Amino acid sequence: MGSTEPSSNFLRLVSEEMDTSELTVVFCDDMQQPFCDQPPGGQSKHQQGWPGGSAQGQGADDYVWGLSRDRDPNVPLRNLPLTMQEKRDTRERRHLQRRSIGCWESWRRSQSIMRRRCLEQMWQFLSGLQPWRRTLHSIEGKFGVGVKVYFAFLRYLVYLNLISCLLTGGLIQAPEFIFDVDNRLYYHGGFKNVSVLHFLLGTGVLEHSPVFYRFYKPVLHWGQCLNTPLLFLLGVSSVLILSLVVLVRRTVNGYKHKWMLGVRFSFNMSFKVFGSWDFCIQDPASAALKQRVIRDELKMDLEEERYHLRVSQRTCRQKLWLCFIRLLLNFMVVILLGGSFYLIYRATAFSQSGKLPENEFLRLLQQYLPPFTITLVNFVLPQLFRIISKFEDYSLTVQVNITLVRSIILKLACLGIFLFFLYMTLQTNNNECWENQFGQEMYKLLVFDFLACFTVTFFVMFPKTLLREHFPNNNLLKVMGVQKFVIPFHVLDLIYSQTVTWVGVFYCPLLPFISLIKLFLVFYIKKFAVRRCCDPAHRVFRASNSSVLFHFILLLGLLMATVVLGITLNKLPPSPKCGAFMDRGTVFNVTADCVDSLPRVPRDLIHFMSSEAFALSLILAEIILLTSSMSQRRANNKSIERLKNMLVICSSDKWFLVRHQSAWLRSQSPESSDFAGSGQLSPPPLQEDLS
Amino acid sequence: MGTSASQLPKDLLSEYQELTFLTKQEILLAHKRFTELLAKDDRSCSNPRLPMSRILTLPELKSNPFKERICLVFSTSDNKDGSLTFEDFLDLLSAFSDSATSDIKSHYAFRIFDFDDDGTLDRKDLERLVNCLTGDTDETRLTSDEMKQLINNILEESDIDKDGTVNLSEFQHVISRSPDFVSSFKIVL
Repeated sequence: MGSTEPSSNFLRLVSEEMDTSELTVVFCDDMQQPFCDQPPGGQSKHQQGWPGGSAQGQGADDYVWGLSRDRDPNVPLRNLPLTMQEKRDTRERRHLQRRSIGCWESWRRSQSIMRRRCLEQMWQFLSGLQPWRRTLHSIEGKFGVGVKVYFAFLRYLVYLNLISCLLTGGLIQAPEFIFDVDNRLYYHGGFKNVSVLHFLLGTGVLEHSPVFYRFYKPVLHWGQCLNTPLLFLLGVSSVLILSLVVLVRRTVNGYKHKWMLGVRFSFNMSFKVFGSWDFCIQDPASAALKQRVIRDELKMDLEEERYHLRVSQRTCRQKLWLCFIRLLLNFMVVILLGGSFYLIYRATAFSQSGKLPENEFLRLLQQYLPPFTITLVNFVLPQLFRIISKFEDYSLTVQVNITLVRSIILKLACLGIFLFFLYMTLQTNNNECWENQFGQEMYKLLVFDFLACFTVTFFVMFPKTLLREHFPNNNLLKVMGVQKFVIPFHVLDLIYSQTVTWVGVFYCPLLPFISLIKLFLVFYIKKFAVRRCCDPAHRVFRASNSSVLFHFILLLGLLMATVVLGITLNKLPPSPKCGAFMDRGTVFNVTADCVDSLPRVPRDLIHFMSSEAFALSLILAEIILLTSSMSQRRANNKSIERLKNMLVICSSDKWFLVRHQSAWLRSQSPESSDFAGSGQLSPPPLQEDLS
Repeated sequence: MGTSASQLPKDLLSEYQELTFLTKQEILLAHKRFTELLAKDDRSCSNPRLPMSRILTLPELKSNPFKERICLVFSTSDNKDGSLTFEDFLDLLSAFSDSATSDIKSHYAFRIFDFDDDGTLDRKDLERLVNCLTGDTDETRLTSDEMKQLINNILEESDIDKDGTVNLSEFQHVISRSPDFVSSFKIVL
């Protein structure tokens, strides 16, 4: 083992900034020609090249590894990539070290270890509290990460709604129940002739219940400052602001990777090869499927590369023809979108026309016409978009993305159009309490969305699966094909219902709670759908990218909801005879009475804070902050570039040194056997190079 | 080592908890599964080794294309037959557990993908890796042109120092950019 000494000497000199293990190998490979007379045992140990990879775990490799990792004795033992026995040895060594250091230092270290363990245990306990952990795990095991992302996203929405629920409950419902005794009594008396229809339409009992805006009367709870309108506005705006903060954080976290890296560093293919195997998969069928997925994806990527090559070779005539086709198809998409918007308009106009038929069932149908139309349109058009995108001769990724983008536009625009026409009809109609009506519409959208989900799963997908199981050879069923869990479309459904919740939260303060229950049920319905009725989709979504995309779309939904709320609150004066804001010209000056009742100094302060001068200085400060963080980002990008260049230079330095070293060794070759025995010789030219 | 007993001694259990990322329940479960796999007469032996063929019958590993590599990497056996002791088995589960750091995971992933154990991923390693991923039969393999194009792409992307191979730090650099990796590099009993 004498020959290991110079290599570790050499390594000690250069291991400051480079990866040691690679060098051991490079160096030893070079050494092999001069030292062919080495004993085979020693050679194989070098070839293995892995610090701590050998059974004995002693010797130079271990030492080299220890050099870089043992230096920080606070790294938990389990974080070292060593075998159990080697970890024990390391622990012994650390104990010895600890004895040699002062007692203060040793106490400090053991304290930090204690703290870390406590934190870990707390973290473990908290993560054990998360609902559906086991379910998510088993779904991940069976269907891979992509499907799990959907369920994790659903759980995330459940959390979001839970927080919203607590906020609205604490700020709106609880004070109302504590202080407004008359209202509560009145409500208790109202539970007569309840029918299912009322719960579907949000009428009857529900109309005067805490579910809707009308229930909340303007009451002074405490002094001039704590009154229902203030709490109401505070509750709703805190829900929206909190959702915004949480969402922006999530989205930015996901995007950080991309921003930091810039365009130059793309690791697409490497990701796919190094990170695409899902080690959770246990089912052999899923494993075979995963292999097929990876193969298809790799082939697709390679195909795409060739596609780009082909694009660059297109002739002028082909380009023109393609342009024409794309224009035509886009025109068709616009017509389809316009047609669906018109359909929604007709449905809205019809259901808001005020003429109610006698028959209860017909009335239900009429009331549910807009949600039904929206859901139908959202069900049919994405399929059409998928077909259309096939003819446009885009690359495959662009095809999927363009379908997704069109579906998003459709989904949010449908809702927007519906809200717009609703707004128009509300403006012209002289409804006694238009807020309630608006709330009811949102309530109906949400309920119908749930009903659609339930119906599609249990009355379409499930029977289809049963039929397939009982008649596996039926040709008709074969033509219809296997049912797949198309993740993006399901996620779009979730985003749609969340947007509806945000739009409706002002007019129907219990909507987050209803949405919470709905999501809870949807989780189990979808779990059933995935487990029982679906085969995993062929095109697997990249989990991280797609989850960023989903959060981004959700953010769009939130923005849309805020804009809609802002417009309706601004343009439509609150109705004079109902709700928390009766007798007020506008919703926003809820604090006016409160501020007027304050003593002079705080009042002036508040007036100054709401003045233009203060806003201007605030904007200026924000601009300065933004500019500085932008420039910081640019500097970071530059330093990343520089570090990368340094890495290249370092490696070429390494190569130079290694070549130098081996040349020197070869020139000494007559003495080589002698050298292998002595060991304490260190190569002199190296020293010169380093200095 | 005490693994012959049906129950693990307390101090050993707490030591395992300290040295691995596993919780108490997970260690006990692992012990149960491990003894179930052992042959009857091996159970009385002091530090029994489980041959690779027995380990590969675990459903968690059975359908994994890297199962042999995993055993070889975690085996401390002198004759490199991929047999595992209970502690090796715990090392394996620890590296693949939920709470293992991405550093540990990427380190072991690199060793698993390094088929010839030479410390770098060269073209041959990459080719075998891709074959494992796509399925190693004649009709599932990529064509040689595709393979060449793919490997060229990978090297172009991740071989930062342009030495024709991917080394550990380059590998970890790539992996650290892929948040999917940590969530998919997992085996849970």
